[in-house]
Amino acid sequence: MRIKVDNLSFGYDYRTVLKNISFTLESGEFLVLVGNNGSGKSTLVKCLLGINRVPSNRIYIDDIEIHQYRQWINIGYVPQKFDDFNYEFPITVNEILTVSRLSKIDEEARLSLLDKIGILELQNENINSLSGGQLQRVFIARALMNNPKLLILDEPTVGVDSDSISEFYRLINNLNAEGVSIILITHDVKASKANFTKKLRMENGRLTETLDNEVTS
Amino acid sequence: MMIEDVFEPLFLSMGFIRAILERTFMQRALMTGVLIGFLAPLIGSFVVIKRLSMIADTLSHFTLAGLSIGLFFINILALPIGDPLYIGMIFAVTGALLIEALRNYYQNYKEISMPIVISLGTALSALFISLSGGFTSTVYNYLFGSILTVSQQFIYIITATTIIVIVLIAVFYKKIVIVSFDESYARLLGINVNVFQFFTTIILGLVIALAIETVGVLLVSSLMIIPVAAAMKVGRSFKNTLLIAILFSEASVLLGLWLSYVVGIPSGATIVLFNISILLLVVIIKKLFSIQQTLKKDSSENEKTKPI
Repeated sequence: MRIKVDNLSFGYDYRTVLKNISFTLESGEFLVLVGNNGSGKSTLVKCLLGINRVPSNRIYIDDIEIHQYRQWINIGYVPQKFDDFNYEFPITVNEILTVSRLSKIDEEARLSLLDKIGILELQNENINSLSGGQLQRVFIARALMNNPKLLILDEPTVGVDSDSISEFYRLINNLNAEGVSIILITHDVKASKANFTKKLRMENGRLTETLDNEVTS
Repeated sequence: MMIEDVFEPLFLSMGFIRAILERTFMQRALMTGVLIGFLAPLIGSFVVIKRLSMIADTLSHFTLAGLSIGLFFINILALPIGDPLYIGMIFAVTGALLIEALRNYYQNYKEISMPIVISLGTALSALFISLSGGFTSTVYNYLFGSILTVSQQFIYIITATTIIVIVLIAVFYKKIVIVSFDESYARLLGINVNVFQFFTTIILGLVIALAIETVGVLLVSSLMIIPVAAAMKVGRSFKNTLLIAILFSEASVLLGLWLSYVVGIPSGATIVLFNISILLLVVIIKKLFSIQQTLKKDSSENEKTKPI
């Protein structure tokens, strides 16, 4: 999936949050977006997801202007917090994933996905009994249920134990190797083990650094 | 004590069964009870998931305004509108849409919508009840339910509503569950959440208007929420929780109707009291079970740390 952002500025009410952002993500790339809190990373992602309504002709997804884009199912998203999800009412991992897949999925493909994410043994568990790391993997699986071409992850390792973090990077590096484009938002790119191809740094709503990276492993 | 006294409850229970077999009004009451006992917790589950439990109470009060205006049309203006229930249903749906509009208007204070709509409903009810002849037995039935007096026409309406709800849930199951559990994610998947909200709100309004006939305005929310509150504590999955909520609700309806017949007290009260009893029982059993688990765990840990 190709994303092109062309001179995007965006704000809430009278506050400008994003200023003249331009970059391109080519199909199969792994982009890391770094920056401090309040630098505008999450706002930019919300613009890419169509949650924030941006001016016309500023964002193109697969060369289609974002307001004309309809195939949202091609973009998987793992939010920073799971606050929007009501996980106090009983629902199993399997039930969440089944309803998140809008078309039919064959049993073999479903089990192979659960195995890949490492939640095969959790499929009949109630969502409210899972740990932070397990919950994160369930939400990654949910984002992958519709075979997205692009996966966007917003600070996915916050509050997750170090073993789960290593496992997480192994997983997304593999997904990227399989051809899924990735946008990863993180505080600290040095601590991450992401095999990224491009790094963007944001400060006060502006892009201050664009780096094309050679994949090392 | 006479032998008849000992067996009186048994005779009365047999009378209850005979009444169901022989009396049309009892058959209608049972049919209404079973259908509402199914519909109310089913819709109630989605209301609870969306943390909108107060909406049932709010809408039932707003529906009362419609019923009172219906009474005013019939008793004072002599308009041939048929059953006030129709105006009640229109008000239930209007109230539901009004709540949605207010929730969108006060984005950060969504709960404000409830007291506004409930106040408007109660004020209109007080006004039109007074204008149409005061506190009559009809008004009493609106407040506490009158399942024994439902008409054949009401049976048709509630049967049709039940079928429509089952078909809609079966067809849109995945989307309804996603929208209920995680609205933001549903939007990301390209689901038109607003259209979904609109239709679910209309159905919610209709079910509340119909449930009023069973337990009355003041108790309708308990029929939707309490079985779900109990089922949430024991359900192992989403579908399992829905099923348990419906079973709890049906058990309350059947036991409530039976007790109401045997003791001669209003069925709305007995149904809700059985609902509450089931909830209490679930809470107590869960508590005892968790105490037992803790004790078991402690004793096995002590066993491990014993010196050899």
